[in-house]
Amino acid sequence: MTIVDPLPGEDQVLRAHELRKEYGTGTGLVRAVDGVDLAVTAGETLAVMGASGSGKSTLLHLLGGLERPSGGEVWLAGRRVDTMTEKELALLRRKAIGFVFQAFHLMDELTAVENIELPALLAGDSPRAARRGAGELLERVGLSDRAGHLPTELSGGQRQRVAIARALINQPLVVFADEPTGNLDSAATTEVLRLLDSLHTAGQTLVIVTHDSRIAATADRLISMRDGGFVEETRLRHGSGRMVGELAGLEG
Amino acid sequence: MSGGTSSKEPPHGFQLRVVQEVLLALLAKEAAHGYQLRALLQRALGPLAEVLNAGHVYVTLNRLDKAGLVTSQRVGQADRPDRKVYELTAAGRERVTEWLGDTSWPKPAPAEFHLKLVAAAEAGLGDPERLVDTQRHAVLAELAAVQRAALAEPDGSAAGLLLEGVVLRLQADLHWLETCARYWTVRKGSA
Amino acid sequence: MGRILLICRLAVRDLRRRPGEAALLLLTLTSATAMLTLGLVLTGVVGRPFENTQEATSGPDIMASVAPIDGQAADVARLEALADEPGVTAHSGPFPYSQSEVSAHGVAAVAWAQGRDTGPAAVDQPALTDGGWVRDGGAVIEASFAEALAVGVGDTITLDGRTFDVVGVAVTANTPPYPKSCFAPCYFEGEEKLNTLPPPVRGKDAPPTAAFLAGPSGLVWLTDSDARSLVTTPDHLAYVMNFKLANPADAQAFTNAHQPHAHTEPFVQNWAEVLSGHTWIVEKKQETMQAGSILLGLLALASVAVLVGGRMADQFRRVGLLKAVGGTPRMVAAVLLAEHLVLALAAAAAGLAIGRASAPLFTDPGSGLIGSAGTPPFSLATVGLVTGAALAIAALSTFGPALRAARTSTLSALLDSARPPHRTAWLNTLSARLPVPLLLGLRVASRRPRRTLLGVLAVTVTTCGIVTALAAYANRYLAEKAAGDDPRLAISQALTLVTVVLIVQACVNAICITRTTILDTRRSAALARAMGATPRQISAGFAMAQALPALIGVLAGVAGGIGLAEALDDDPVTVPPLWQLLAVIMGTMVVITALTAVPVRISARRSVGEILHGDSR
Repeated sequence: MTIVDPLPGEDQVLRAHELRKEYGTGTGLVRAVDGVDLAVTAGETLAVMGASGSGKSTLLHLLGGLERPSGGEVWLAGRRVDTMTEKELALLRRKAIGFVFQAFHLMDELTAVENIELPALLAGDSPRAARRGAGELLERVGLSDRAGHLPTELSGGQRQRVAIARALINQPLVVFADEPTGNLDSAATTEVLRLLDSLHTAGQTLVIVTHDSRIAATADRLISMRDGGFVEETRLRHGSGRMVGELAGLEG
Repeated sequence: MSGGTSSKEPPHGFQLRVVQEVLLALLAKEAAHGYQLRALLQRALGPLAEVLNAGHVYVTLNRLDKAGLVTSQRVGQADRPDRKVYELTAAGRERVTEWLGDTSWPKPAPAEFHLKLVAAAEAGLGDPERLVDTQRHAVLAELAAVQRAALAEPDGSAAGLLLEGVVLRLQADLHWLETCARYWTVRKGSA
Repeated sequence: MGRILLICRLAVRDLRRRPGEAALLLLTLTSATAMLTLGLVLTGVVGRPFENTQEATSGPDIMASVAPIDGQAADVARLEALADEPGVTAHSGPFPYSQSEVSAHGVAAVAWAQGRDTGPAAVDQPALTDGGWVRDGGAVIEASFAEALAVGVGDTITLDGRTFDVVGVAVTANTPPYPKSCFAPCYFEGEEKLNTLPPPVRGKDAPPTAAFLAGPSGLVWLTDSDARSLVTTPDHLAYVMNFKLANPADAQAFTNAHQPHAHTEPFVQNWAEVLSGHTWIVEKKQETMQAGSILLGLLALASVAVLVGGRMADQFRRVGLLKAVGGTPRMVAAVLLAEHLVLALAAAAAGLAIGRASAPLFTDPGSGLIGSAGTPPFSLATVGLVTGAALAIAALSTFGPALRAARTSTLSALLDSARPPHRTAWLNTLSARLPVPLLLGLRVASRRPRRTLLGVLAVTVTTCGIVTALAAYANRYLAEKAAGDDPRLAISQALTLVTVVLIVQACVNAICITRTTILDTRRSAALARAMGATPRQISAGFAMAQALPALIGVLAGVAGGIGLAEALDDDPVTVPPLWQLLAVIMGTMVVITALTAVPVRISARRSVGEILHGDSR
């Protein structure tokens, strides 16, 4: 499957148009996502915040092709995702998408390095190449000394870092993170926070759903959701040292 | 789009309100030059030190001298302009003790925003939920800036501690804002 | 007391909650108990009818026959001398006989044609079940022979080309039924002494040794003159006499004392040997049933163990719920045990009932005897054995998981709700080098090694049974195809039943494993899909996870089946033809793959997000 280059003139890696997801019928109808438009440019970090039930996780699943929308379109690197067959989606997930979950979802019977190399093996890479790539990513996330450990032997923060490394092994266009620090304590959150920040600096496109304000604060752009729709959008990358000084108690 | 830049930008940067007390305290151990005191302050404030007024420290030392809390002595230098050495007086020492023992804390001040929401709801001027959203985003933008500075600090730096303090205070504010949103959603639902 | 009541209540409630699975378990266990019941109940089926036949025919305790051999006529004097032996109270004969080729309705066989008086004999007067006794030109056929040839009164048969009318059908206790009717110089299998003697010479121009043909033979009575007319010279005739003893229990001693050491000496048989000729078919059926029930028992064990293992994970998650009722993991284990013991008791009752009801289908003593066995004996021992077996299966398969549950503290059960999967390091490394379906399959199989082993066991056991049955078929029908309707077909009845039940049970087992595996790996499969595995790769992986162990199982089963046939059969084992074995192997692989692939495909329809999201809630 070839991935078409982004549309000329705008390097939009991800686009959604009138995206909708509904459950139930009649009086029991629930609109999880209600007509959302979205565009993410390459290298951008987008954070989506909202209360539980606001539809943010569902939105992420729709964007990542893990669920099919009830209506609307999703475009990833110029290809229409919502109409793909399961097989095409699988190929897409191998090449263009990485996913990080709140519950980590690591295989308990595989070591850290085996967990990370798995998507590469599924994609058909040679075992040696997969293992090498996994080793590099382990170093990237700072866990080289834990390569042979099972998930049960790792702390929460370490597990999530392994999961992030796994999401990166196939060099995806976009990494989707669904409440990546939802199951983590404060210290572990800081670990993951640093990692996500460094990914951003390296130019990785990230779409993060979170209720943790610190995670959201690493983003270029922040969107708040309520009842399935967007209510507020802000660019977070402005702000100066003066602002920080003021906040710290230095007076102007 | 929200997100703030400072509306008034003093021509010579920011100033530290308690700079007098801090300088006095730093002199408690031994006498020191102005530039030494400035270096200590810079280490303590990290990146924020950059926005500090450059001459702030010297001006303050002068003031302290005039107020009798410190004494100064000129030290002759061979190939440089003369430098002053400052020393703490008894009055100054007393001031330091007072300052260290003072437990007053910067006040949280949610009243203004709270009343904003009440007024908006009461007078039908706006949707409290939307006001909260906008305010949240503004605070998040501030948080983003502070966090960026905090992440750049090495582990264990004193300045990093300062920045974490800011982060946590902003997080607390955001927590309250989310609570406000929930409250006003419920109010709206039952209205 | 209250605790026990609570456990019972919870057990019943749990069973009601999962009726499908309970039914599956019940079916599995009942198949084993029913087969065992049949196996146990088939004893003594022939005893009564044989007694009846003996009474009706004045059945002999001793039969002695002597045949012409080595160019010499039969030594009748030696035969008649036996009448003077101590303990002999009555005798009949000597009656002349020879072997002929018989043909009826186009079916050809071999018959012992015995000459008789028209009046009744003192010992061994065959009892007519149809028609009348011999007359000139009229033959009476032994009942089992008549059934095999499908002839009755009014038909005609030819003996060595001469036509006779069938005027009667009768039973006798004088010789085993078709195809094992045997007079001198026929040698029963297993009598090594006689096997050391040189074989008789045959041929038309042979010296006066009748052309005796070995193989499946039946008995036909003619008049004395008709019987004599079948041979060219009187020297070609053999003679048989029947004796009654004062004490029938001495018959075996008598036989031992008069074992022939040369062909010229009379060949002596006793009534017990005739009885065993009647019973051997029933005994074979019984053995088949018993062997089948053991195999089914093992299969049931495997199925129940798999289902219980799968249930345990679910049960653990409900520990919290049970805690509210005052329960602990120990209680969970007790409930689990109680449920399965209840099911075992129900299966034992059902199996006993089914076995008892269907026993008459298998207890036909054969047309060579009068009367039927009547209601099969239903001893307390049978009930005890069957119930015990069922309880043992339930207890054994539940034991492991129940023990594990009892050992787990409440806290750890709540914290770690599922049993973590097993890790095999070298397998993970090896599978990384293989194509994706094999990678997935090996890893899925190694996650739960116990379940995989049970799968191998189930396939092995089933294949064992099938191959044993095939070997039995091959043995009986290649070597000794008896003409007409071979009563030994009755054994094939039993074999077929056992084979069919085994196959059904094995399919059930495969479904149990598949279902449990799917539930267990749902999350991992969804994850694999989230990481880019196509649905086809996933179902291929699951299919591999069961097909690879099945391959091991089927190969082991082929070897084991041949071994089992060797153990069960007195004859040296005949290996079934290669094409049959290949068909079994191929068939098993296809069926296992199909049984796995379909449920996996169905479960793969759910979207990845649903599964993962639902799990993390």
